[in-house]
Amino acid sequence: MAGVKLANVQKSFADVHVLKDINLQINDGEFVVFVGPSGCGKSTLLRTIAGLEEITSGTLHIGTELVNDVPPSDRGVAMVFQSYALYPHMNLFDNMAFGLQLAKVPKDEIAKLVHSAAKTLNIDHLLDRKPKALSGGQRQRVAIGRAIVRKPDVFLFDEPLSNLDTELRVRMRYEFAKLHEDLKTTMIYVTHDQVEAMTLADRIVVLRDGRIEQVGTPMELYENPVNEFVAGFIGSPRMNFLKGEIANVQGDEASVKLTNGTTVNAKISSPASSSIAQVNLGVRPENIRIDNQSKSVACPVKFVESLGSQTQIYCEMPGMEELLTVVVNGTVRVKAGDIVPLAWNSDDCYVFGADGKALTQRTTQAMRAAA
Amino acid sequence: MAIVTGKKNQWRVWATHAFLWALLAVMLFPLLAVVSISLRPGNFSTGALIPTEISLEHWKLALGFSYVGSDGKEVTPPFPVLLWLWNSIKVATISAVLIVALSTTAAYAFARFKFKYKSSLLNGMLLLEMFPRVLALVAIFAIFERLGAHFPWLGIETHASVIVAYLGGVATHIWTIKGYFETIPQEIEENARVDGATHWQTFYRVLLPMAVPILMVVFVLAFIGTIIEYPIASILLREEQNLTLAVGSKYYLADQKYLWGDFAAAAVLSGLPITLVFLAAQKWIVSGLTSGGVKG
Repeated sequence: MAGVKLANVQKSFADVHVLKDINLQINDGEFVVFVGPSGCGKSTLLRTIAGLEEITSGTLHIGTELVNDVPPSDRGVAMVFQSYALYPHMNLFDNMAFGLQLAKVPKDEIAKLVHSAAKTLNIDHLLDRKPKALSGGQRQRVAIGRAIVRKPDVFLFDEPLSNLDTELRVRMRYEFAKLHEDLKTTMIYVTHDQVEAMTLADRIVVLRDGRIEQVGTPMELYENPVNEFVAGFIGSPRMNFLKGEIANVQGDEASVKLTNGTTVNAKISSPASSSIAQVNLGVRPENIRIDNQSKSVACPVKFVESLGSQTQIYCEMPGMEELLTVVVNGTVRVKAGDIVPLAWNSDDCYVFGADGKALTQRTTQAMRAAA
Repeated sequence: MAIVTGKKNQWRVWATHAFLWALLAVMLFPLLAVVSISLRPGNFSTGALIPTEISLEHWKLALGFSYVGSDGKEVTPPFPVLLWLWNSIKVATISAVLIVALSTTAAYAFARFKFKYKSSLLNGMLLLEMFPRVLALVAIFAIFERLGAHFPWLGIETHASVIVAYLGGVATHIWTIKGYFETIPQEIEENARVDGATHWQTFYRVLLPMAVPILMVVFVLAFIGTIIEYPIASILLREEQNLTLAVGSKYYLADQKYLWGDFAAAAVLSGLPITLVFLAAQKWIVSGLTSGGVKG
């Protein structure tokens, strides 16, 4: 068991600067998810922790040991690759035993470890098969089993579920959560799927262009994104952003004049914000409701996606370029061309400056719980 | 996989078959002719393709037996054909094994390591191999004569010298194997590294088992290439008992006396080891060894 500490980590491939000044402390036993769009450096970051890529500068500690120059096998990590990377010429037993055999673990000990791991993962009846004869989900389990038998201090998962179909992905997601609960080992998990990140993580690390944008619990990121990027990335469907400018600030209440002339109230907390003119107003689709009241805006519906449990409605706000996404629980009978009255609470609005930084700080559930 | 085709395509099938039969005839005719010559009495190159009279006299000589000719005189084998065959097999087998060993390890380095001048080295090797080997004969002779002065086992008239000379021709094999290695997903080896394998263990226990088919192909190619090689062997080996079959067979065709029949028997014999090696290697040349390793 060990934590991982990265300080001022940089990584470049020739002229390409992939990781820029990464500072991150991962605690012992924590489940941390790296999330971000493709090419943000999340996989590279994981590979540097595994030791498959050298760090250009900075320090990396696993436990108390500085591991900058320690080869992968001596770092106490086990990795599960997106493509599984099983040894195709070995049967499942040998696939899982390979690392132990190299470490010269006694044979009966290896057999015990492999069988117990196989049992946990429900693949103990397949041990003499070759990977070729397995389904995708089973291969995924072998890859996980291979990591488990080595009893690593840190598990590294590189998009382990992205090759599975939706149903299997949901089931395996649950199994990852259970695995972490059982083993209580530090796990670092890379994904581009924010649902996986939200459901699995103790803490999420959001990356963009090789930089850490924000680190926090899923709810912190959801309720208090530090910038527009995180706000847009966490939450599905993504947050609506409406261009506007600050017309007036009174205390923590700002009125934002949207480009179509409508004025909307929102909470802001940065006192300097009164000098910032251009802003983006953010509202989550689930915070918008169809409601006939004085402040409601009548919006024509562009198209509707009915998922049964919820309905996603894409509306055109008069005079605004951006489409407005609205999520309503249950099935709502609206169709394209209808006009719906939309309303939201000023408490649910976020204000982002022209540089993308959030001007809204709100009390999160975690803060409320602490108070 | 059969795609539905219209009736109109029927003539194309016939045309294809006709073409293939013609090709087959062109390819098989020389072989059949040699077999036929080796079975005809007398040392003549011309005659009926299907012998009117079968005679085993050339084969007896090739296999080291004497026979009594039509004039009542005993004819003894003029050359030690079986010894030459053995020399050929020995040289070709050792060369092929060493060529495979050298070219796989080199190909691993070229496929997986990063180092300076990598592409210049790769291209340079290929470029050098494009010159006909015959151009280097003088140099090869001089080198081994000088080497022989210090290491007699590596001098002229030794099989070791021929083998070492053959090892110079690995560039194309390195390219072939490198190309195959590059189709094998790198994650599998990375996982072996995380599992604690050294570079050598990764190469030997993970990469090589997946590369068996290409190793077999290269072995067969190297075996054929060395067993039929003439120029180098002919300048490094001169004494009768040292010759390979490819060089020795030429002795049947002396300036004034062409023993076509005996030559043909020896030629058929020399094809035998190649056939056997290929048949043995064939069962390893299969596809799909890497399937199942990664999502596919």
